[in-house]
Amino acid sequence: MRNDTSIRVLPPDVAAQIAAGEVVERPASVVKELVENSIDAGATDVRVDVEKGGRQSIRITDDGRGIPAAEVEIAFQRHSTSKLARAEDLDHIVTLGFRGEALASIAAVSRVTLVTRAEGEEIGTLMRLESGAVVDQRPIGRPPGTAITVQDLFYNVPARRKFLRTEATERRHIDAWVTRYAIAYPHLRLLLSHDGRETFRTPGNDDLREVLIAAYGMEVGANLVEILEDPGSGSPIRVRGFASPPSLHRANRGGITLFLNGRWIQDSRLTYAVIQAYHTLLPSGRYPVAVVMIAMPPDQVDVNVHPAKAEVRFSDGDAVFRAVQRAVRNSVTGQAPIAPTAFLRPAASGGRPWEGRSPVWAARASDAGESPLGQQPLLPQHAPAAIPALRVIGQVGAAFVVAEGPEGLYLIDQHAAHERVLYERMMAEREQGLPSQGLLTPLTVDLSPEAAGLLEAHLDSLHRLGFVLEPFGGSTVLVRALPAVLTRARPAEVLPDVVEALEEGRSMVDAEVEQAVMRRVCKRAAVKAGQVLTREEMAGLIQALEACASPRTCPHGRPTMIHISVDQLAREFGRE
Amino acid sequence: MRVSCLQENLTRGLSIVGRAVSPRSTLPILSHILLATDGGRLRLSATNLEIGINCWIGARVEEEGSIAIPARTLIDLVNALPPDRVDMEGIVRTMTLNLRCGRSEANIKGMDAVEFPPVPVPEGESGIQIDPEVLRTAISQVAFAAATDEARPILTGVLVLFDDNQMVLAAADGYRLSVRQAALGEPLSESLSVIVPARAMTELGRICGDQLKGADSAAAVIATVTPDHNRILFQLPDVVLVSQLIPGSFPDYAQIIPQGRNTRTVVGTAELIKACRTAQIFAREGANIVQFHIHPQGELEPGRIVVSATSAETGDDVSELDASIEGEAVDIAFNVNYTIDALSVIGTPQVALDTTSSSSPGVLRPVGEDNFVHVIMPMHMGQ
Repeated sequence: MRNDTSIRVLPPDVAAQIAAGEVVERPASVVKELVENSIDAGATDVRVDVEKGGRQSIRITDDGRGIPAAEVEIAFQRHSTSKLARAEDLDHIVTLGFRGEALASIAAVSRVTLVTRAEGEEIGTLMRLESGAVVDQRPIGRPPGTAITVQDLFYNVPARRKFLRTEATERRHIDAWVTRYAIAYPHLRLLLSHDGRETFRTPGNDDLREVLIAAYGMEVGANLVEILEDPGSGSPIRVRGFASPPSLHRANRGGITLFLNGRWIQDSRLTYAVIQAYHTLLPSGRYPVAVVMIAMPPDQVDVNVHPAKAEVRFSDGDAVFRAVQRAVRNSVTGQAPIAPTAFLRPAASGGRPWEGRSPVWAARASDAGESPLGQQPLLPQHAPAAIPALRVIGQVGAAFVVAEGPEGLYLIDQHAAHERVLYERMMAEREQGLPSQGLLTPLTVDLSPEAAGLLEAHLDSLHRLGFVLEPFGGSTVLVRALPAVLTRARPAEVLPDVVEALEEGRSMVDAEVEQAVMRRVCKRAAVKAGQVLTREEMAGLIQALEACASPRTCPHGRPTMIHISVDQLAREFGRE
Repeated sequence: MRVSCLQENLTRGLSIVGRAVSPRSTLPILSHILLATDGGRLRLSATNLEIGINCWIGARVEEEGSIAIPARTLIDLVNALPPDRVDMEGIVRTMTLNLRCGRSEANIKGMDAVEFPPVPVPEGESGIQIDPEVLRTAISQVAFAAATDEARPILTGVLVLFDDNQMVLAAADGYRLSVRQAALGEPLSESLSVIVPARAMTELGRICGDQLKGADSAAAVIATVTPDHNRILFQLPDVVLVSQLIPGSFPDYAQIIPQGRNTRTVVGTAELIKACRTAQIFAREGANIVQFHIHPQGELEPGRIVVSATSAETGDDVSELDASIEGEAVDIAFNVNYTIDALSVIGTPQVALDTTSSSSPGVLRPVGEDNFVHVIMPMHMGQ
């Protein structure tokens, strides 16, 4: 019997297939690698045609520089690249590819047909490979550029082929990659077709907004607010992109897309930086939609971590984190439009100026001043952070303040608004410590042993917030003082709230736990729905809200106000 | 019912009972005032089930009877009438009150008097006798300290304690305590301790004040508790106020009043109020904190108290007052509203502030009287 464990050197084709597995995981990886090549080749027009989710064939056609006839053969050899010459070049990689693995890897696991003509050459080349071996090579006529057709992917790697998901799943992965590159390179005219049907197209006019509308649809794409570079920061890390207003959110982090120097990356910390930027602006468990493009000197980042290049390492990760968080935060708090009212949105789509594709759009987006008020909620204008000066009209249902502003009607949730006011006031006062009011007679509150333990573990933090508590043995806690804002609240109800905030904050750092507790405190201290307010109280509340930095959402991320423009009202009354 | 009275008397009676009307009740009858003939007079009654007020006014009764009339309509109408004789007739068949005064006549739709919850009237004249002026002052010094929210129902009430020859009123809301003692005319055979809703006490104080106006001396207020110990009745000339009692036992207020002190600061009451009012302008923007920096007199300089407030948004304010200070220097902070509330009812030209430390309660007392004590818990900055 043969000893199966004896050590042997693998035959080259097996080694190639194993290596290919790292680069080419699924049809989408082929699309990614080949589109990257097209971009690196300076293409402005890239067409991706996919059959049967990429299992049958993937064809990428570009108008890039092409491959000179003499170099076509080497192109398919492992570690052959035009993008890198010396090891030092790795320190400042400016192209998407550089490892020289893609073509070789793809060729190793499929049937590839390459047709290319380099700039300045009279005639092009056709080359056909199977399992990495050349089976055909001849001159051929074609316009400058390259077309690569990858057929029968993994036909020689049954194990991998077996693990391909359904056609729909593979399609989705391809779509995701094409979308990413469309966003990262808005100057690129990108076209994607599945089984002969065009599914995605970008105009290639360098207008990212249009790409976003193509990628995310009108609803999301048009509402994203631009992340503007801060020219004054002087930091070598520049952050641009688009982020959703707080009124727009998703159930998972999938809507957060990161690019670094034009390369799509996955980075849980930077994703968190984006989420963190929406701190208190989104309801808990909801995540923003954002496209964040980071540009930084290539020598401060290592993209050569993994063949797929989706992971990167930063020399100063904290600085990148801060830059991303600050840029997103600034744009979101600075420009977020007030939550539009769904029920009053125009029912029919006809007649909307952007319906008939782009030029109108571009004009509107860049010239916010001229856009009619009625479309405001849908137009991501650079609205000022502050809410306009409002005049109180009255109160509805003892819960909502009705106010009039220069742009129509505003409905303000009195509880949410007051929460926001208190929260910002507390945040501002936190530096000097929050005022605390002593109790005439200390109050004992009975809790569960875990809850009491949790409070005990955070006595110092809570003291900073104005809670003077003393463990009183077992599960009883003695309350000696409460935050001044809570003097009207009931300690027996406040403490369980605090415990809940602490439980939520188990995995958070101290500062965040304190903020979580503060949010609870504000919730308790704020006027409740059902409380009748005098006109003066309402005016005071609105005035205080106008002074807030993020007046449009409560600390838990719910909107504080709904805006109904005069135009919308007119439309509802059929006066349009 | 057929009855005539003077418009002025009717207006005055309605304004007294009108305060017990509950305008937004789910029970429609509670927004009404009951008009009933009673021994040759007209009795007006109103109640919100917690407080009930009866008021009797002189009238000529031609036919006995009673009817309940919407308070708002009746009060507004009577206020608008000329100072003349008002003739009223209750028409049972239509439950309407026909009202004539001078050359105007009105008909108001009412409800059957049977539906009106009975407002008890005292039986006899026996009870604890209190001087109305003393009662009015005591209420004004105490009732404001009661809690306004229902978290601890007992604290929404005023402890009313009669023992031997003295009366004690006390109220606390968890952050401050007000206690006032007053001597009674005659010693009592047995002591009595009840908790009366602060709203009822405030109303009682107001009625006492009304009756004292223009009168040289007023008859004593007579307090009686119903045998079932559920209600207390305060009997004044022509007016009876009935209030529910709050069951439970009041916290031991004596234990809350600090016994010792490290510093006593004596300062002009009006000056201190003025300084606090100035501080309030800035304090109200934040957590209503007013800070007292108390410096005892040195060899060359007098003692002084520096009153200050700071607002992150608006600015800050400092006022300095001369004071006579015994003991050590101390910095202490209070809720400015609580401080002004208490100083406003001190009632003497000078006030004493006793403090032990910046985290121990402060005690305000009138200088020259030892019948009033107000305890305020300090505030502090957590850090």
